[in-house]
Amino acid sequence: MARSTRVRIAELVLLAALIVAPLVVHDAFTIDRFGRYLLYAVFAISVDLIWGVGGVLTFGHAAFFGAGGYLAAIFMERGGWFLPLPLWPAIALAVACVAMFAVLLSGLAFRGPFPMRGVELAVITLAVAYLLEQYARAGGRLTGGQNGILIGPRLTVFGINVHRGRNFYLLAAATLIVCYVVARWFVSSRAGLVVRGIRDNEPRVDLLGYHVPNMKIAVFVLSATLAALAGALFYVHEGIITPGAVGVAASTQVLLWVALGGRATLIGPIVGTIVLQHLTATLSGRLLDTWILVIGALLIVVVMLFPAGVLGWLDRGPSR
Amino acid sequence: MAQRRHGVRRVAVGLTATALIGAALTTGTASATTPATTPPAGSAAAAPSGDPIKIGVTADLTGPFTIYGTSMERSAELAVDEINASGGVLGRPLQLVVEDTQTDVAVTTDKARKLVEQDKVGMVLGPIGSDAADALYKTVAQDAKTILMYPETYEGGKCDPMFFSTGAVPAQQIRPMLPVLQKEFGPKVLLFGADYVWPRRSFEIAKPIIKEIGGELVGEVYLPLIADDFTELVQKVRDTKPNYIYTLYPAAWGAALKALDDAGVLKGVGVGTTFLGDPGLAGLSTAAVGTYTALPFFTVAKGDGVAAFLDAFHQKFGANEIPSGGESLGAYNAIHLYAQAVAKAGSTDPAAVSAAMVGQTYTSPTGAVTMEPSHHLTQTIQLVKVGPDMKHEFVQAFENQASEETCTS
Repeated sequence: MARSTRVRIAELVLLAALIVAPLVVHDAFTIDRFGRYLLYAVFAISVDLIWGVGGVLTFGHAAFFGAGGYLAAIFMERGGWFLPLPLWPAIALAVACVAMFAVLLSGLAFRGPFPMRGVELAVITLAVAYLLEQYARAGGRLTGGQNGILIGPRLTVFGINVHRGRNFYLLAAATLIVCYVVARWFVSSRAGLVVRGIRDNEPRVDLLGYHVPNMKIAVFVLSATLAALAGALFYVHEGIITPGAVGVAASTQVLLWVALGGRATLIGPIVGTIVLQHLTATLSGRLLDTWILVIGALLIVVVMLFPAGVLGWLDRGPSR
Repeated sequence: MAQRRHGVRRVAVGLTATALIGAALTTGTASATTPATTPPAGSAAAAPSGDPIKIGVTADLTGPFTIYGTSMERSAELAVDEINASGGVLGRPLQLVVEDTQTDVAVTTDKARKLVEQDKVGMVLGPIGSDAADALYKTVAQDAKTILMYPETYEGGKCDPMFFSTGAVPAQQIRPMLPVLQKEFGPKVLLFGADYVWPRRSFEIAKPIIKEIGGELVGEVYLPLIADDFTELVQKVRDTKPNYIYTLYPAAWGAALKALDDAGVLKGVGVGTTFLGDPGLAGLSTAAVGTYTALPFFTVAKGDGVAAFLDAFHQKFGANEIPSGGESLGAYNAIHLYAQAVAKAGSTDPAAVSAAMVGQTYTSPTGAVTMEPSHHLTQTIQLVKVGPDMKHEFVQAFENQASEETCTS
């Protein structure tokens, strides 16, 4: 079977599962919890765009996911000037601000006086997440310091409450599907092809006459924007955001979801996120002290057997 | 992408391994989950029957607060055992449903929702950190209208019909402690805290009390939660020459104390805290000898029921296991107060239990406690002092210390 067919089948199966899930699962809490996983999955897709497709490792992507949440919270909960804003304008402005920040950051990184590559950029992303986390902790009244910001407004769409349970799940699933389609469209577009070309052989793409830095900036900004949107929705649903949201720990966790699912597959990170999140949430309630070891061992085995991730293996065939 | 270079794959494996290590660290500190349902314990005596009354526990069983979360959960187990052994509540046994919060706010919220929505618990006990407490105050008390009992010492100020505090709040610790410090060291006090809501609100409450007892506030220093550089503090102590320092610097007091001691500015200067429980003494230098601490519980606490409480704890969890401090007694008291309120209300209906809770008294291991209309606890506060062997020595117990919280819900 051709790999494109296998990926299409995987896509269809996952899509069908997403749609059928709320019909099969009747427990409002469980379906709500899966809604959270789907927003995390958007976060994982955004990391896959930059890491898997773009070949740029990021150790600080929670900076964008969390900043989406923090800014939305600040725009809704803080007063003064044009604030507070209602729900959707706050989210839209938060996402726009993060996108602008991503333009500045990636512009400086890729087109600045000292263009960065590989490990250098990984260090920069790490530093950004670290700085933001420290600022969130020390940010006084604006960020609420250690205790973060309580977010009062609930998620609504055209007056319909989509804050909890099945409705929230549907909102999250719709967000995931839209973001997935956008990411898939980007990857299969001409620009996406060039970005993949840069990942695999940057000098050659450069010689072909493409503007390499601009291509990198494009994928970086798209990635940050998707992360910010998912983050804003995620933390409004949580009702609270605290400094850990923009931190290094949250940034490394998402790398695991992507690696397990399969880098550069877009669909793999979704699967990796849902499986790992659900295993963690349920195993931890049953295996008391040993669950961390079980999940750790499982991850090591999977990564050794499928270095390209589970979906990567499906995509490319057995690796050895 | 049919063809991929081996180098890329090798890098991929390397990066994945890096991510694994990263995630292992993450899981160790920020995420993890534990237990499930503890079966209704020791239903021996009157053998309660019928549907169990479920109590959810959001416990920090992994991550930075493991020591406190574990102890809080164990103390709740002890209380449940006792109540079930004497016939349960309304003829029904109590049952704990425990979830590990991984000392992570997002996980705490998720687990609390699971307890409320899936397990349908009548009350949620926990958590430890004040950020997670803020989250549950919203999720459990305000949104889900389910009773939340918070057993940890905190800054006070929370006010909701469904929220009850069984830990200590600033006024009841500060009011008895400062006069003792002033008498021993002198009137000039320097306040030193980590820069967040607990120290800031505590110091606001301390200021009028200092004035009232004829003390003199000579300075106030706030540093980040875990600072690397204590120059500012050392300088302030040198400049203002306080007789004693009242400090709330829980996350890195060892480092701050060492900096002060190394600079030689601690000679003749007393130290008082409202956070240093028994586990907090581990790792402190001997400069901590003589430090006073006021909290609801220590292993050296005085009270008619303390010995029995410690015995039961040793018996169930091991001879070397001790309750960590205020949060342990807070959890134990919370279970007893909840059970008593359910019995009085005749049902687990949250509004009825909330109403029954206010005004009730109960004899805790360290003495009588009363649930105030403010939903905070009038209780006994223990004052201890670090001895030459680096263990707390009992100084004095202050009975019936009111919270001085003004919430009316």
